[in-house]
Amino acid sequence: MELIRKLLRGPAAAAVLSLIAVVAFYVIVGRANLLELGAAASWLNFAANLGIIALPVGLLMIAGEIDISFGAMIPAGAITIALLSGTYGLPIEVGILGSLGLGAIVGLINGLLTTRTKVPSLLITLGTLTIMQGVVLWGAMSLAGNASIPLKSPDWAKFLFGHLIGNSHQVVIVWWVVMALAFGFFLHKTRYGNWIFALGGDRNSARNAGVPTTKMTIALFIMSAMAACFVGMCGAIQFNTTQVSGGMSYIFNVIASVVVGGVLLTGGFGSVTGIFIGTLTFAIVNKGISFTAINPNWANLIIGTTLVLAMLMNEYFRKKALAYSPKKV
Amino acid sequence: MADTISARSGRLGQLLRRPEAGIFLGLIAVYIIFAVLGGEKFIGPSGWSSWLNVAAEVGIIALPVSLLMIAGYLDISVGAVVPASSLAVALISNHFGMPIVVGIAGGLAVGLLVGFVNGLLVTRTSVPSLIITIGTMFGTMGLALGLTVWIKGSTGVFLVADPVTKLIFGEALGGMFRVGIFWWLAIAAAFYYLLHVSPWGNGVFAMGGDRESARNAGIPTDRLTIQLYMLSGLASAFVGVLQIIANSNAQVAAGSTFIFNSIMCVAIGGVALTGGAGSVLGVVLGTIIFSVVTQGVFYSGLDTNLVSIVIGAMFLLAVLTNDSFRNFIQIFFSKSK
Repeated sequence: MELIRKLLRGPAAAAVLSLIAVVAFYVIVGRANLLELGAAASWLNFAANLGIIALPVGLLMIAGEIDISFGAMIPAGAITIALLSGTYGLPIEVGILGSLGLGAIVGLINGLLTTRTKVPSLLITLGTLTIMQGVVLWGAMSLAGNASIPLKSPDWAKFLFGHLIGNSHQVVIVWWVVMALAFGFFLHKTRYGNWIFALGGDRNSARNAGVPTTKMTIALFIMSAMAACFVGMCGAIQFNTTQVSGGMSYIFNVIASVVVGGVLLTGGFGSVTGIFIGTLTFAIVNKGISFTAINPNWANLIIGTTLVLAMLMNEYFRKKALAYSPKKV
Repeated sequence: MADTISARSGRLGQLLRRPEAGIFLGLIAVYIIFAVLGGEKFIGPSGWSSWLNVAAEVGIIALPVSLLMIAGYLDISVGAVVPASSLAVALISNHFGMPIVVGIAGGLAVGLLVGFVNGLLVTRTSVPSLIITIGTMFGTMGLALGLTVWIKGSTGVFLVADPVTKLIFGEALGGMFRVGIFWWLAIAAAFYYLLHVSPWGNGVFAMGGDRESARNAGIPTDRLTIQLYMLSGLASAFVGVLQIIANSNAQVAAGSTFIFNSIMCVAIGGVALTGGAGSVLGVVLGTIIFSVVTQGVFYSGLDTNLVSIVIGAMFLLAVLTNDSFRNFIQIFFSKSK
């Protein structure tokens, strides 16, 4: 009983309940076969691509900032590696470094602009989002003449970034789990994690307490842009070609996953477990619906409802958690 | 005393210190650049109609969104309300064969309803409005798609409006200038009155400055917030009505571009996302800058793939200079005290 109470006070409580509710809804109302749903790759692949970006974006939101430029950084990562290693025939290592390097540069710009000015990060990253959309399109069209650029990768790169485990599950799932563990350690076990919470709680107090707020914020923006480039790069390696569109839908999907996961946009509250489960929940709602008797056209309505309900639950649990005081023995 | 000071600094100086002055100068600069690049065609009626048509649609939504942003809120759901309202008009008046007036009323009601839900959730919870309106965006999108496919069996609905309705909402004068432009200007005038003349507008500014103090000063902040969200839902629904009557065809997937475009117009127009500052004139000018640039690129002979780069760069430049402009004003005033 104490364990359940403790869980309910944690930031992941609403995420766990949402996940259970969604699966129960699909099994009972949608008559989905739980085994079939569990074995399916579609939602797990979807979750992994979403989740790799949701982790750093979630951390940014815990620190009180937001990044939407990743919507353009996914295709940017794909186009960069395909241009370097496909069109120009450079070794794949150069393509990988170029792709991640571009992410680092754009993240650095986002971070610098956010920390040096008073403009909210939503507007800054809306600007870089729009610019990078143009850069991606213009770069692909003027340098390769086509938005789908062919890319052939050596076997080792294909194995690491783009093969299907059991012919169905993308290898990105493994990357996602590993990254979730790393981010979990980073956020909850190191002092950097404490700094992130401090940033989101009260930036001025954090700075006065000696937290290098500017450096931390910039580092988080770099992580988020690099993660998006990584997802784009893996996609290009797996499918041997690129797409310029398709990143935009990620923007709201990632934010929704993070929010279902119990992260407070205003900062200072959240957990990696929550973000991970939130992403899973979002992916099951979105892709699991095709395993049910429910018409897939209703998917967005279920997502919206889940999001609002999760928000309300998060609010309730957060109040409980903040009002909690252990009984004196 | 105050009179003598303002008389001394002169009318021009007063005008230049207004935040709109910088935006207006920006507009002139942008227009001259594209006039030089685009030549006669851009300066002529074809150019004017192309950017005015774009400005009207995004401008009608940008106006209430700017009020929300002045009050410290965002509205993402506008992108879902536009197609939902179009579909509602088409379903009611085409599929169910009701008079077009009923269809239009139904379309606008969709916007009012979504706005009401947004306002209610924003005022009753402490969840940021960005997240709430992302939730209602998904919900509205899903409801529009699900209901349309359920009723009609397809994702698009047609509607051919009668000539009178077409004249009021969907006519293009001279085959170029859509009637929406006049609606936009009329709505802008109404918003000018609401925000800058009527006492209601003071409440909006007060709420964005400091919500707690505004409530303590007797401003009904909750009611005001709900009204603002209903206005933004209504305006988005109105754009949906204009679209279905002009294009005779409603698509489920349309409208998502309005989300970020409206925010960009508002921010270029000098409204701080952090609330408390902004003006209707600034937002109208910001909308014009945005549309002159998006359409100007097509007349300029530049690579059209560059359009996003130009808009994004200009947008960043605008928000960054607005930021430093505001800093300057603050420093100026603190020194003069």
